[in-house]
Amino acid sequence: MISRVADHCFWVGRYLDRAESTARLLQVTRSLAFDAEMPTQAVWRPVVTVSGQYSDFCERFGDKAAGQGDAVQRYMTWAPENAVSIKSSIWGARESARSVREVLSLDIWQATNELYLWFVSEEAQRTYALDRDEIYRQIRRQTQLSLGLVRSTMLHDTPMDILWLGVLLERIGQTARILDMHHYLLDGNGNGKQKDDAPKETAPGKHQIVQTALWLSLLRTCSGFEAFMRVHKGRVTGTDAVEFLLFEERFPRSLRYCVRSALGLVRRIWPAEMAAIGGAPLARLAALDAWLGERKKDVEPSSIHDLLTHVVDETALVCSEARHAMSGATAASEPTAEGTQTQQ
Amino acid sequence: MAEPDGSLLLKGYGVLPGAYDELVDASGAPRSHALVATEMLDGLTPEGFQRCQSLAELSLVQQGVTFSVYSDQRGTEKVMPVCLVPRVMGAAEWSRVERGIVQRLAALELFLADVYGEQRTLREGVVPGEMVEKSKSFVPRLRGITPAGGVRIHIAGVDLIRDPAGTLRVLEDNLRTPSGVSYVLENRQVTKRVFQHAVEGGVRRVDDYPSQLAEALRSVSPEGVDPEESTVVVLTPGPFNSAYFEHSFLARSMGLELVEASDLVVDGDDVFVRTTMGPRRVHVIYRRTDDAYIDPEFFRPDSLLGVPGLMRAWAKGRVALANAPGNGVADDKAIYPFVPDLIRFFLSEEPILEQVPTFVCARRDDRMFVVEHLDELVVKAVDEAGGYGMLMGPQATQAERDKFRELVLAEPRKYIAQHRVELSTCPTWVPERKRLEPRRVDLRPFALASRAVGTIPSRWVLPGGLTRVALREGSYVVNSSQGGGSKDTWVTVNS
Repeated sequence: MISRVADHCFWVGRYLDRAESTARLLQVTRSLAFDAEMPTQAVWRPVVTVSGQYSDFCERFGDKAAGQGDAVQRYMTWAPENAVSIKSSIWGARESARSVREVLSLDIWQATNELYLWFVSEEAQRTYALDRDEIYRQIRRQTQLSLGLVRSTMLHDTPMDILWLGVLLERIGQTARILDMHHYLLDGNGNGKQKDDAPKETAPGKHQIVQTALWLSLLRTCSGFEAFMRVHKGRVTGTDAVEFLLFEERFPRSLRYCVRSALGLVRRIWPAEMAAIGGAPLARLAALDAWLGERKKDVEPSSIHDLLTHVVDETALVCSEARHAMSGATAASEPTAEGTQTQQ
Repeated sequence: MAEPDGSLLLKGYGVLPGAYDELVDASGAPRSHALVATEMLDGLTPEGFQRCQSLAELSLVQQGVTFSVYSDQRGTEKVMPVCLVPRVMGAAEWSRVERGIVQRLAALELFLADVYGEQRTLREGVVPGEMVEKSKSFVPRLRGITPAGGVRIHIAGVDLIRDPAGTLRVLEDNLRTPSGVSYVLENRQVTKRVFQHAVEGGVRRVDDYPSQLAEALRSVSPEGVDPEESTVVVLTPGPFNSAYFEHSFLARSMGLELVEASDLVVDGDDVFVRTTMGPRRVHVIYRRTDDAYIDPEFFRPDSLLGVPGLMRAWAKGRVALANAPGNGVADDKAIYPFVPDLIRFFLSEEPILEQVPTFVCARRDDRMFVVEHLDELVVKAVDEAGGYGMLMGPQATQAERDKFRELVLAEPRKYIAQHRVELSTCPTWVPERKRLEPRRVDLRPFALASRAVGTIPSRWVLPGGLTRVALREGSYVVNSSQGGGSKDTWVTVNS
């Protein structure tokens, strides 16, 4: 597969998944802000923080705006200057797809193109103004449609593997950041030392209710609500929710699942005889997978932030190593300037 | 419902005086070969047709069948306007056109081999030597090179127009990187999607073009390479090129990789593409880049664009380039007047297709006639394209004509002149007035060549081709960047 094309496929996957994650994060946070019984400041600021855009946002609008739902949503949805806004993501997905339409199926290109055309239309502006929940729902539905078409209409071969690797690596980062944000929320609210394992028969105190609302929103943000409830028979505790999103091997958005699947894809893209090229991301993913397996045995609430930081950092390194490998260069050599393109 | 007389859309259609109409005769009655289209239109009311038009336009936008007008990063993309009223050609006429194109391209293929070989045509005066030597597109350094597969004109687009008497004439040969075939295929798809009641079985198919092209490209694989095993790629300047949609469309429909120059690298005399598995050798390149951007080492030492060393690999026969570099000399406007003589010289046949009578200003008698009749003629600079360096005599001011008089006399070789041909018309939907009106059209059939068995490559012509239409009332300009659109072109199965 051509290196430049591989890179574009990788970014189609990342941008689509990023648009979907961001839409879901905004949708859930909006619902949380309504009745979380928390200051809206505390609810919205972390959204900007986890996206890594806090300083850019404050520079443009002042840090007070970071607590205003409308300002944050506008910035995270529409701002072209925000590299991780939904608009930037959809545009990026569509431009990447446009550059490699010949390797995608017509269905994927059409769905992605329609998503873009709809998103920049007046109709989308109207929906955003009149029915905020609906626009997030539509963004999610249409990105999921594109991603679903990837699996159901593309040849299951290197281009799809690389696209899906982009999806999984993006998802690891998103899930980790969202988990981290919820920890931050609890800390910021003075509830950092949660006692989730408190006996259920006692009437829940106010903190308990706040925490439960947060954990439910966390699960919803990761589309894990139903799956979690099935596994835990309707009982929500912080530890269970966190462990579910970290380690549940059967849940397609847990860190463990994504790391494992990414490892499997890297193995398929660069089989053993291509270790000179694909060895680096493979080794790092394998180590991360094993490391997560170790952590599963005893995860301390206090160490979760460090754990997530480690996952985010390692994933970023896997991304750059994978892109280096896609250029066809061996791990030891410098990436060729033409082989990769600069994208956030 | 259709009215009893069954010509709702065409009723009241006024033929343009002095022009030939492709679908109806001077009295407004459908031409017999066009019944397949007029009968389909019969069932439609203007409202119904407008619905079909809107459906067609929507489906083109959704599919992203666009050409881009990129001024900035998020530049605008336009859909090439399509008019759903097809242009129809009868089987008998088409078969003559097909033979005419094959004949013409055979002569031009031999001419290129001669220009870059023995140059008999120049020595024997079939073409004046200076016409070739002074052509901007002539590359003397290519003399003596035999391209892999023995073909130079793999893909040709021959532009035809029809005069008021109904005679089709060749207006120009496009032997470098002719574009537009993707619209032929897309227009047909759209026609099939929106017309629920089209007559079945009356029209020749066009959708096998990609597989014919892929076969033609594979057939010119370098010596010693099994065509079934060879790697063929499509080379594009990139997504910012206005024809990028077509490049991507063709690569996708042939199942070939679409590459940019930076994806290719020459090592020794072989060309490789950078892949996720390391470099892989490439055998045939369908390039949609201009000569100047093929290889900076060869064409433009100052340029960073292109693949350094690619021309060396081509000259050694290690890779095939379609079309061959240097082809521009044969579709140069200065050579055009001599093509009928080239056909007679190489093939000992009379030309099947007429062309537009042309005055060659380098000839003294022609020159004298041209400068005396500038108010009747269209004067064209031979090295320019797309309407640049052109004088439309009948519409020009006296000052403009005086300027061209000077130019022609100063550098006669640079100019040719022709009488303006009243292009034929085709009924075309005018949305503002919700009715059909005559608009001028041309036709670009596409021809593919496969590896030569003997001296002349075998050729296949796509039935029909791209009909371009000047959508503005009174306009002769069919170019998509200047208000032109396109139509589906139907070649009937029976005469």
